[in-house]
This record gives sequence, structure tokens and C-alpha cells, in this order.
Amino acid sequence: MTTERMPNPALLWALLLLFWLVPGGSSLAEPAFDSPPERDSAGFFSLDWSGAERFELEQATGPDHADARIIYRGSDTSTTISGLSDNTYRFRIRAEGAETWSDEAVVVVEHHALSRAFLFFALGAAVFVVLLLAIVRGRKLA
Amino acid sequence: MTITEDVAILPEGIAWGLLIAFSILWVFLGWFLGRKNKTAEDHMLAGRNVGLALATATAMATWVTANTTMTAPQLALQLGVWGMFGYSLGALGLILFAPLAKRIRELMPHGFTSGDFIRLRFGKFTWRVFLVVSLIYAFGWLVSLAMAGGVLINALSGIDYRVGMTIILAVCVLYTLLGGLRAVIGTDFVQTIIIILGVAFIAWLTIDKVGFEAIHFNLMEERPELLNLLFPAAIMFLFNNLLFGVGEIFHSNVWWSRAFAFGRSVGFRAYLLAGLLWLPIPIVAGFIALATPALGINVPVADMVGPLVAAEVLGLTGAIVVFIVVFAALASSLDSLLAATSDLVTRDIYRGHIRKSASQHEQFRATKVIVVLLGLLTWAAASYRGELPIIGSLAAVLYFTGAFVASAIWPVVAGLYWRRANPTGAALSMIAGTTLGLVSYFVIGFYVAALVGAAVSLAVLVLFTWIAPRDFDWRSLAEAEPRGTAGATGGVR
Repeated sequence: MTTERMPNPALLWALLLLFWLVPGGSSLAEPAFDSPPERDSAGFFSLDWSGAERFELEQATGPDHADARIIYRGSDTSTTISGLSDNTYRFRIRAEGAETWSDEAVVVVEHHALSRAFLFFALGAAVFVVLLLAIVRGRKLA
Repeated sequence: MTITEDVAILPEGIAWGLLIAFSILWVFLGWFLGRKNKTAEDHMLAGRNVGLALATATAMATWVTANTTMTAPQLALQLGVWGMFGYSLGALGLILFAPLAKRIRELMPHGFTSGDFIRLRFGKFTWRVFLVVSLIYAFGWLVSLAMAGGVLINALSGIDYRVGMTIILAVCVLYTLLGGLRAVIGTDFVQTIIIILGVAFIAWLTIDKVGFEAIHFNLMEERPELLNLLFPAAIMFLFNNLLFGVGEIFHSNVWWSRAFAFGRSVGFRAYLLAGLLWLPIPIVAGFIALATPALGINVPVADMVGPLVAAEVLGLTGAIVVFIVVFAALASSLDSLLAATSDLVTRDIYRGHIRKSASQHEQFRATKVIVVLLGLLTWAAASYRGELPIIGSLAAVLYFTGAFVASAIWPVVAGLYWRRANPTGAALSMIAGTTLGLVSYFVIGFYVAALVGAAVSLAVLVLFTWIAPRDFDWRSLAEAEPRGTAGATGGVR
């Protein structure tokens, strides 16, 4: 025979009170990014978010957001970012009309090294030249 | 991410009207063109006597697809000017296939599928490896096309992605069932005219309404790397896309079945002309994505950019034109792929492995059952768009198959032109090329998978052929009658 232990009602009330009092407890319903990337080397990535009807998305480069600009305002819940140069980018999201930003995503854009890019370019060019030669020579022999 | 009906540009009623009207048109054409089919050879190879105009149109229309009309803008948005120029290098696949088509027709006057060639040239082991590569590619392409259909309809009208995808897929399955390759080629001709006129109209209106100066200024301000000619990922992408296109065309039964179906002297000229006509289309289609910053529109998912920009710039008229053009482009490729893949599965899997004594009537029936099964499988996979890692965006699905197809370039080229190509080397070149191509896909990115696959495949095949060359008599391809050929020319009704 087992004895089930009932939780202490006082403890439950204390936890509930703590949850209500802690700042940000209510931010569960506020807009937030959904698994934003931390680094990007391809030069393009997407940002997803949720938590409101309409949103404002801001992009900046410095931690003080001095150069910030709103890049989207509306009801979509994702965007495609591309064409950015190497830098650290800070994206903030909030419900449209809200005074404070509710979440921030920091993405480091660091493109592949040019040496690596040209290595693949040279490899591709070599394969292509061999292919051309194989077809031209093959046609003659055929 | 989906577009909801309240923010869509095309009213739902008009979208349903267009969808129904063009569905009826394609199905009617399928029935009308296919009613003359009397034999399996008619159904699968349109009687082996397609003329130059229809041959050029079908090659071009099949190659103008979701990949061109929707992935080209996606790549322009992601990889900039090199993205769209790199995409246009896919034309070289058609152009380089021109001499191969001529040789295929000469070497195998009774051939049916690319699988026939690999089996006769390299033996059963290489044939089976080739079938795996070819079927994975065909399935990936089918899924990307079905996804494109759903994305298009959702982006323009807000109709649910799954509903649109299901309708487009069902229509293509139906008219491919009714008409076979004859219907596919006939509808391709109509679809080619729609595609060329529509794409030119959209590009002209975009330039007229937005202007080059505004496009350039906003790109420099907001997305400068898209204009950077030293954009690293885009540089890596250039030859990757070229080799991907070459791999797609060289190995796929879509193009081999046409080489067998075109009249004797038609194949070379048809593929050359189709390649030259196709070359500018990705640039024209992709260019409009560069207007995104100037227009200030949000692109929720990269593969939606083409329809979104066109609809934003051109309003209701633009949305209608885009809808018709992309529907035509999708249908022209989806039907070709369904027909060619069902032929490959029927002859190389069903008759080659499961029921070797299948009669002509059974093969004919099997072809139709397989078209339906392929449609159902495609529908199931495309339903998971965005929920599985590989089935993320159109480009992600498509370029995943790049490692597979690029590794098949060299077995095909060596099989056709190198008398001493080693059969085991041909099989291992596909296995090694695909494996390392997939590794590079996951470790580096989708923009190098085909390139790595092709390079590794070349190295392996050259090495094996150099160490252990095997003589081959080309005449055996013509003399050896591919399985079922005799029966295939007999009546089935």
C-alpha cells in the first residue's frame, strides 16, 4: 500500500504569488523571436516571431541602437533578411504601438572567406572545362 | 508562415475562377491530345516522331518551372545579382545535352529510359545505384513543384497552402493519366507561349513602375551585399548551379524520354534552341526580387518573393498574370516529371525487378497506377513544408537533390563517349559523389552540394578507368533490344 502525499496548499499559494509579482511574468504573452540564428555565413537568414496581432521589427548594429530603423510593421510573423555586410546586427520586436521592446535577437553576420569562395569557384570551373573537353572530344571520336 | 485572405492581393473568388478555368483547360487538352494514343509507345514516347517546334517548346517549357519562376527570384533575394545570373547558367544543361541527345538517339534507336542505357552500358549494379539517384531526384523535384503550386496560390490569394497544392497536383496527375507524353508535349507548347509573354510583361511593368535608379539606391542602402560581385556564397553558387543543371538534365528520364521521342534529326537542334531561349528567363524572373527594398514590402518566406513583388507592383492585373504564368510553368514541368518518372518506375522497377514477364497491357496499366501513386506520395511530402528540415523552402528541397544528380553527370558522359569507362567506377563515382556532396550540403550550405558531388564523382571514375579500363562495343546498345521493346510497339487496347 502506498501513501499519496498531498502538496502543501501554502506552498502553492506562495508560488502563484511569486509568479504574479516577478517582473516579466506577464511578458509571456508579449512578442518574442522564435529560435533566431546566432551566426550567419551564407548571407541570408530568416527571423520568426509570435505573440501579438501586429508587430514592429527594428534593426540596428550597435548595442545602443543609435542607428536603429524599423524594417517591418504589420501582421506577418516572419521575414527574410539578406544582403547584409559583415557585422553584428540587433533585431528587436514589439507589439505595434507598444512603448517598450519585448525581445531582442543578436545575429553575427560573417560571410565565408573569399579564399574559400574562390577555391570552390576554381574547382567548379575545372570540372566544367573537363566536361566541355569530354563532350567535344567524344563527339569527334564518335 | 502563410498569407491570410484579408491581406492577399488576388480576391479569393478570382483565384478560384482562374484555378478552375485553367484546370479544366489542361485536363481537356490532356484528354484531347491523348485520345490518339493506341500503344504504350504512343503513351510513353509520343510515337517517337516529335517535330522541331513542339520539341523545342517542350524542352524549354519543362525547364521553365517552379525553379525558374519562383526559385530564381528567391536566389536573387538571397544571393543578389550573382544569384539570378548563376541561375541562368542552368541553360547550359540544355545546350550541352544537345550533342548527347543526338548520340543517344543514334546509339539506342529502340531505347525507352535512361535506366535502359545505364543497365546495358554498365550492368545491373551501376543500374541500381543510378535508379536510386534518379528516383530521389525525381521525387525531390516533384515535391518542390507541388510546394511551389501551394506557395503561389497562398501568396497571391490567401487560399490555404495545402488546398492549392492539392488542386495543382491533382490536375497534373489527371491530364498526365489521360494523355501520356503526347498530352504533356502538347500542353507544353501552349504553356511556353504563356510563360514567355507573361514573364516579359511583368519585368517590363516592374522597370516601368519602380525604375532602375530606385532599385539600385535602396539596395545600396539596405542590402548592399546583393550588388556585391564578391559575395562569397554567391561565388560558390555559380558553378554549383551550372553543374546542378547539367546533372539534372544529363541523368533524368525527363530529358532522355524526349531524346527518344524527338524525330531523328530533331534532338540536337531542339535542345540547343531551347537552351538559348531559356537563358534570359531566370534573369528576367529573378530581377523583380531586387525591387523588394525599394517597395518596402516584407518577404515572410524567401520562396514567396516573386509572386509577392509582382502582385505588389502590378496590383490585381499583375497578380492575375503571375498566377497564370506560374501555373503554366508548374503544370508544364509537373506533368513531364510525372510521365517520365512513371515510365522509369514502370520499366526499370516494375518490369526490371518485380514482374519481368509483365505483358504490354500490364505495363500500360502499371504506368497509370504509378502516376497516381507518385502523385499521392508527392502530396504527402509537400504537406510537410516548413515542418521538416529539408522540406523548408523551394531552394532547400531542390538543392538537396543537387548532390545526387551532379554525381550522375560522369557516368552518363563517360558511358556515351568513353569506350573504356569502368562500370564499377561508374557506380562508386555516384555513391562517393552523393555522399560527399550531402556532407558539404549540411556542413557548408546548399550552394556547394552539386559542385562537390560532380568533382568527387569525376575523380573516382577517372581513377577507376585509369587503373582498370574495360572495353565496350557501342553496337551492343543498338543490337541489344531493351526489355519490352518488341511488345511496347504492339497494341494494348
